Amino acid sequence: MVRVLSVAQFRMNGSRMLAVDLRGETIRALNGSMVAYEGQMQFKRQGMTGGEGLMGAVRRRVAGESVTLMEITGQGTVYLAHEATEVNLVPLQGDTLLVESESLLALDGQLRTGVQFTGLRGMTTGQGLATTKVEGHGTVAILSDGPAIALEVVQGQPLSVDPQAYVAHRGQLQQDFVTDVNWRTMLGQGSGESFQLRFSGHGLVYIQPAERGEGLGAEV
Amino acid sequence: MPGYSPVNHKMLQVPVGPGQEVYSKRGAMLAYTGAVRFAPTTTAGGGIGGAIRTTMAGESTPLMHVTGQGSVMLGHHGLHVEVVDLQGDTLYVEAERLLVYDASLQSGTMFLGEQGGLSGVIRGQMTGQGLFTTTLTGHGSCALLSHGGVVQLPVQPGRAIYVDPQAYVAHRGQIQNKLHTALGLRDLIGRGSGEGFQLELTGQGVVYVQASERKF
Repeated sequence: MVRVLSVAQFRMNGSRMLAVDLRGETIRALNGSMVAYEGQMQFKRQGMTGGEGLMGAVRRRVAGESVTLMEITGQGTVYLAHEATEVNLVPLQGDTLLVESESLLALDGQLRTGVQFTGLRGMTTGQGLATTKVEGHGTVAILSDGPAIALEVVQGQPLSVDPQAYVAHRGQLQQDFVTDVNWRTMLGQGSGESFQLRFSGHGLVYIQPAERGEGLGAEV
Repeated sequence: MPGYSPVNHKMLQVPVGPGQEVYSKRGAMLAYTGAVRFAPTTTAGGGIGGAIRTTMAGESTPLMHVTGQGSVMLGHHGLHVEVVDLQGDTLYVEAERLLVYDASLQSGTMFLGEQGGLSGVIRGQMTGQGLFTTTLTGHGSCALLSHGGVVQLPVQPGRAIYVDPQAYVAHRGQIQNKLHTALGLRDLIGRGSGEGFQLELTGQGVVYVQASERKF
């Protein structure tokens, strides 16, 4: 006998609002992102460990990660949105998605989250030292300022993106940091494109048509 | 006479002519053609009594009376514009979210205490909505402002809708609303889920919800 796992149904209600049909399942969502619901719903802020265990909590604390999620359980439909930004659905089938923590709107309760250290990139983008790693089977809803696009990276053709436009990536990708700082940059005459993230390997990179706020990259 | 026609998501073209005058948010005019006049108004067709009520209500969003012959383009702060056509029913909306409405619609102010008594007053305070809300009744069009556009959620008997007060824009139909709290110990110690208060809407009608928690 096959055991059927019920999975919460994620669907879009316009491009900026996510509707999730729940029949007793649990999902996790950005704290305070509920705009409406029908039926019976419980909202519970995640505990200190957030399902990542004690080490996860410690790693998060070290990395300065401060994105809080809440657990939503119930029967009915819950509508989620955040600051009128666009919502994109990413289905995961056992693979891993790395996403900027502040771009995470909601994820299926069966997905596991963790912290991935990013090193220098985080410092230049003002995002902190870590991104969120999501793995398992289920749907992730990510936020983007303007509609996000997915760019495919294939072997031998690395892709460079602006760190402030980067949202998420998945697949077998290595990332490294490219700088193009010269004497013009030092004099404040740079083109504003002195830092890039370069992805090589095989996978998808999601970028948004807007550049996030302040950071080293924005200044030089 | 054609009705309101959206130029894009954030701009609206409104025809004006004899017998088709509108009230609009003051300063929301972006462009116009023809002989169109803009007059500041405090009564907005509600008479002196209405003006006194509005002043007392603190619903102080200034309006202007647009008359003449021509066409006006309206927009406000890059917010999304949604046209709502009324066929004899009543729309409940916060004054600051109203961009423009036909002068043929009767506008009024409703004291929230009339619906839900003391809890209505508390609701207004808790949600920052104030104690009064604007009503529009009759046949005609109006346009709502929202951050990120609105979705319409139908409310039916036995199918209550709960809305984040900051995402609530307007509602129409036979709807009762009251404040629904789901406060727990965690909220009191500052570790809540941020979803402590909701508006509970029951009855028969439609509620307009925006894709953002931002008030403006």
